[in-house]
Amino acid sequence: MSRKNGKLGKSLLSLTSVVVLTGGLIGCGGNDKAPSASGEASSPSGSSNSGETVNIQFAGWGDPSEKEVFTKLIKGFEEKNPTIKVKYMHIPADYAGKMNTILAGGDAPDVFYVPDGDFGRWVSQGLLLPIDDYVSASSIDTADMWDSGLVRYRYDGASNGQGKLYALPKDIGPTVLYYNKDIFNAMNVPFPSADTPMTFEQLLDTAKKLTVEENGKVKQYGMGPIWWEGFVLGNGGKFLSDNKQEFLGNGKEAADALQFAADLSNVHKVVPNAAALKDMNDGQMFKTGKLAMMITGRWMVPEFRKLSFDWDVAPLPVNQWAGWSGSVGLGIYSKTKQADAAYKLVEYLGGPEGQKEQALMGFSIPSFKSMANTDVFLQPGQKPEHASVFIKAVESEVPGPWTNLPNAKWFDLLTQGLAPMWEGKKTAVDVLNELKPKIDQAIKEGNPAVFK
Amino acid sequence: MKRKEYLWAYLFVSAPIVGFLLFAFIPLSYSVYVSFTEYSGYQPPVFNGTDNYAKLMNDELFWKTMYNTFYAALGIPIGMAVALGIATALNQKIRGIGLFRTLFFLPTISSVIALTLLWKWIFNDSYGLLNYLLEFVGIQGPAWLSSERWAMPAMIIQGVWATLGINMILYLAALQGVPKSLHESAEIDGANRFQRFFRITVPCISPTTLYILITSTIAALQDFPRFQIMTEGGPNYSTTTIVYYLFQNAFRYMSMGYASAIAWMLGLLILVITLLNFWLSRRWVHYE
Repeated sequence: MSRKNGKLGKSLLSLTSVVVLTGGLIGCGGNDKAPSASGEASSPSGSSNSGETVNIQFAGWGDPSEKEVFTKLIKGFEEKNPTIKVKYMHIPADYAGKMNTILAGGDAPDVFYVPDGDFGRWVSQGLLLPIDDYVSASSIDTADMWDSGLVRYRYDGASNGQGKLYALPKDIGPTVLYYNKDIFNAMNVPFPSADTPMTFEQLLDTAKKLTVEENGKVKQYGMGPIWWEGFVLGNGGKFLSDNKQEFLGNGKEAADALQFAADLSNVHKVVPNAAALKDMNDGQMFKTGKLAMMITGRWMVPEFRKLSFDWDVAPLPVNQWAGWSGSVGLGIYSKTKQADAAYKLVEYLGGPEGQKEQALMGFSIPSFKSMANTDVFLQPGQKPEHASVFIKAVESEVPGPWTNLPNAKWFDLLTQGLAPMWEGKKTAVDVLNELKPKIDQAIKEGNPAVFK
Repeated sequence: MKRKEYLWAYLFVSAPIVGFLLFAFIPLSYSVYVSFTEYSGYQPPVFNGTDNYAKLMNDELFWKTMYNTFYAALGIPIGMAVALGIATALNQKIRGIGLFRTLFFLPTISSVIALTLLWKWIFNDSYGLLNYLLEFVGIQGPAWLSSERWAMPAMIIQGVWATLGINMILYLAALQGVPKSLHESAEIDGANRFQRFFRITVPCISPTTLYILITSTIAALQDFPRFQIMTEGGPNYSTTTIVYYLFQNAFRYMSMGYASAIAWMLGLLILVITLLNFWLSRRWVHYE
């Protein structure tokens, strides 16, 4: 979810935000003093005890159904906390772009969605409030939460993954394989196992059986465009060294996985040739029966439940239980004047009440292990039949590589630079070896704190 | 009494001046300063001299995006020729001409985002309209937007189409201002259609041509939202324009200082090209 919204997010406001930002900078100069003085006032014994009404603002994106759920949740929150009034600022498009502008202006909402890809940048700029103390003093049981959901919202002053906690996950979305059962049945291909991930060989074999050619043109593809990061992880590959200082994506495991992914379309023709546009329309193609299998997250479930054909989910076909998950966090603005009230809202939305409502909608997996294993999430009688696949996936999948460092240039260099490989002009090994010095340089230039 | 009138005059005149100072001059000056600093946008800027400019000169990607922007600008002459052709066709007295004029103008008033998404579909290699049509004439179309070689030509095609409406309307207006008497006397003197078009029409509308050339050049140098939506600057930075690179540096890599330096290089470039255009225009633009 974070990924899709992030991309769409950055697309819309573009020029406008540049203009607005330049304007906002002037305003920011004058306002600076007020918020920083109040930042000190946000000690755990803040103002909300006095019985006076506290107003806080909350910003997030989402389609109309998500907006509806959050409107309902906020109402429930206000009923439980009569002294707190929440103003919900719904930003339907270009969330990251708008938030960047608002944050640069110095007067951001008290609580807001933090896409995991933007987390590193925002937290490294001191925009988020550390919440460890609040969490340990509250009812949230972090031991019951998915580790990979929490870990991506930690930051130690250089890179994320460890250190203080700056947000609670609003949701977590591991990637799994969706497949069209009707196509499998019609073509007499056995369903993928819900317990054991397919190996690369099994995937190729299955995809070949499901690909239909007519007059030299592919009419039905066995598999949708590859979300290659998961392939690298599933093959035991790494993107960065443990200290985050070095690019390791040119290692054998990563290169082999990428070569396999590229060959799926260039050599075997079982995947549409649109690697660079992977999320353009694979959902549409799946819905119209042109793809037998595709990779995506839980967020497609509400839409796919409307389909006329039968479908189910299986583990990501990458040799073992592995892959990446996306997530959106709930963060508190570092300059908020109402940190206590803000945390109460985060606790409510990221805690059992909020997680339950979201899970019931069908589009997300609760952050709590105990809740995920109940009917709230498993929803028997509704598709997908093997909803437990998501639970196993969330346990084994790690945050996507774009979350690893505050400065994203290294990752952009990688995604852009893979183009000759997707076009079949160069091998994965050659492309990655050529990219390595450039990516290493970008890591160094963009993330000096990692090298201190 | 007179003093009071002056006061009012100054008051009214001051509105645009204050507006300019507040919304253009001060931000612009600030960005000059920022271009000499390291600045994340969230924390105060730190002066670092000419580092940003020095880095620009050695930035492979900056030069690549510069090249891309000029490559994309190839669409300007193509677009102008097509617009003039269509405007000439629409300058006839035939039934239903208003409908055709409206149809050609329609893209101009539609949302850039919607149109761009539409074109993403047109360029889809497997199910897109363009490759479907090419198949009829026996051509296997490329994977337009995901091919390093074809992504920019595809963007040029889309750009030509998107600017057609406005350029066409401008040309149409200009064409209607061409004196009929000139054409009539040339016809009596034996000039054929082509001679009349290139010797009379083209010189007569040359001020409009200059106007379109200059505004399109500036627009092309600043072009970027459609690139962001259709190709995300890829594959392999083949469609990353200067402004897209600026945007990425500012909002993705939090290097506002570096982005400001890029912006000023771009501003300088636009100034030079526009002056050049004006200077050259003395040779080919005819004012009555």
